[in-house]
Amino acid sequence: MVEMSRILPILVQFGGGALLCWVGVHAGLKSGYLDLNLAQDRRALVIVVGGYLALLVLYCAFTFWLPFMTIEVDT
Amino acid sequence: MAPEIVAPEALGTRLDLVVMVAYFVTVVGFGVYFGRYSTTTKDFYLGGQRFAWWVIAFSGIATTIGSYSFVKYSEAGFNYGISSSQAYMNDWFWMPILMFVWLPIIYYARIQSVPEYFERRFGRSSRIVAMIITLLYLIGYVGINLLTIGTALHTLLGWNIYTGALIAGITVTLYVFAGGQTSVIMTDLVQGMTLLIVGMGVLIAGVWYLGGFPSFWSYLPEDHRFLFSEWNKPDQFSFIGIYGQDGLANTGAFVLMNQGMVMRFLALRSVKDARKMAIFWILILYPLAAITVSSGGWIARALMESGAIDPATGSAFTTTASSAFIHAADFLCTPGVFGIVLAALMAALMSTTDTLINAVSAVFVNDVYRPYVRKAAPDRHYLRVARIASLVTAAVGFALVGIFDRFGEIYRAHGAFTAAITPPIVTAIFLGILWKRFNAAGALATMVGGSALVFVSLSPPFDAWLVGPFSFGMGPDSYSFTRALFGLTASLTLGIIVTMLTRPQRADEIVGLVNGTQLEAMRRYKGGEINRVPGKAVYLAVQPDPTIEDDGEMARVPAKVMEGMAAKEGDLAYVCDARWWFGGLRSVHVKLGPPCEDDGVHLGPQAIKRAHFKPGEPVYIEKLF
Repeated sequence: MVEMSRILPILVQFGGGALLCWVGVHAGLKSGYLDLNLAQDRRALVIVVGGYLALLVLYCAFTFWLPFMTIEVDT
Repeated sequence: MAPEIVAPEALGTRLDLVVMVAYFVTVVGFGVYFGRYSTTTKDFYLGGQRFAWWVIAFSGIATTIGSYSFVKYSEAGFNYGISSSQAYMNDWFWMPILMFVWLPIIYYARIQSVPEYFERRFGRSSRIVAMIITLLYLIGYVGINLLTIGTALHTLLGWNIYTGALIAGITVTLYVFAGGQTSVIMTDLVQGMTLLIVGMGVLIAGVWYLGGFPSFWSYLPEDHRFLFSEWNKPDQFSFIGIYGQDGLANTGAFVLMNQGMVMRFLALRSVKDARKMAIFWILILYPLAAITVSSGGWIARALMESGAIDPATGSAFTTTASSAFIHAADFLCTPGVFGIVLAALMAALMSTTDTLINAVSAVFVNDVYRPYVRKAAPDRHYLRVARIASLVTAAVGFALVGIFDRFGEIYRAHGAFTAAITPPIVTAIFLGILWKRFNAAGALATMVGGSALVFVSLSPPFDAWLVGPFSFGMGPDSYSFTRALFGLTASLTLGIIVTMLTRPQRADEIVGLVNGTQLEAMRRYKGGEINRVPGKAVYLAVQPDPTIEDDGEMARVPAKVMEGMAAKEGDLAYVCDARWWFGGLRSVHVKLGPPCEDDGVHLGPQAIKRAHFKPGEPVYIEKLF
């Protein structure tokens, strides 16, 4: 069972991160500079979201799974 | 005074020393060679705005890995495990603000320094405050870097601290003087690759020695295998403390207010390349950088836990946290190879120092000399002043080595100063670019009031009163980290309150400087309506055209080529050597003229000279907008 003190960092980092990302994307869309009619802008948005999710998966793996994975080592 | 690599005796052998000296000579030669591409102030500060994304990404990573990163993060890696990398993993969340707001503002408004942004957005008073703060911070940091280099060379090779600092200072200054940003970028490209190769090499060698990744992983204590430290413990490495300091204040500072990085972004050939660079840099190179600077600590811990025997001494491998990187590298490397590791350490130190010296020179010329000393002089004059400013900065930095070394209070004062001014300036830029209502009074209140409050919070009992509520149950040991959260909150609150109580700025005063006006900034940059229809890059041969007699910024291509580029007369375009490995070094920005009849891209003699093209040489041309 993973302790809350290990889960809270994920919630804060990715909650705060989502807020920062939203501010930037919203600002870009509202200004018209981020134009979803343009393929390169759509691609940029997909990469932003994809990068966010990739980091989330990475941090979850290193919190809930990999720390508890060990093998027997000959000493 | 500088973070010290504690070693019982000088570790390097004579062969390592030879490798180090060869590295110094190579870096200087490389930088001086590329100095020939620097003939204007635009070249000296912004590298001629011609570089491809991958060049800036690799050179930027060398700047990111700071003077004592290897010591600091390997120490954290040794003590706390892979969570030592968490400080490097926050930047992605700032990406949208960087890509869609800040980059287009600084690029299209042709802003060359952070203080210049403050003047154009808020007025002269804000610029003066920002300029004083920026110069004090940067010059102090040059001194700290040189002291760190001197200390590292003293520990590793037994050199006198001042001798090491002087040699490194002269090395860096030589190529900054010769080529400014162009030389800095090209040398940092090499230094960035050296850093990554060595850092990853130490990790791979260590994992190999331990019998593979599963063995390495098993030797790490379980609490060393988490990517985040715990929420509020230990006091000096809790998640919330590091998040406030690194995730918010320092990362925000790196993205928004770091003069060296602002100049690096502006050295890119286009905002499109800036996007590519930022994505590759933050998503790929940053995690690699985190591994590079931390891996020595992880490997050292695993080696100790495994009971590895040092063949040199016949006893079990042992180290202290602060020497983890250097001892792990020394354990794993043969003489000569260890010299390359030492060269990588020097690369980390020098690549930060060169950026700082160039940045100080830029701020001095752009924010002090040009507006207050000599307003309208030929570019040649400002280039000469820029070079002299680089020399003076290095000399002042070297003088500070002695002061910082003798008077610990001044060294600590600079650290406190940096901690105090970072949150308020980040907040001022953040509000300035995102909130139209934010005004000059609000910016001054944010910077001056916010800094004052953070300074007050440095002393007891105010630290407990002000920072305590932001420490989430941790003790005074956490204040150095959690103070950033207090600083951000205080600055944000002051800025909002003062702005709401005072009159807003006129809308026409802030066009191109705040979100919502990026497209207008693009129109002003181009001098006409923008064309965002996607087009293709087209490969052609250079055709010298003596009839193009303007200042060399026009190009003519056949009508069918313009069609392929989806370009019209008057659009901005970029012509670049077709060989990708030049990374944009041989290139030029042009405005498209009327179509020509024959094949090839017609360029004036000035453009050909500036781009270092030869007639008939293959190049590609692509529309910017």
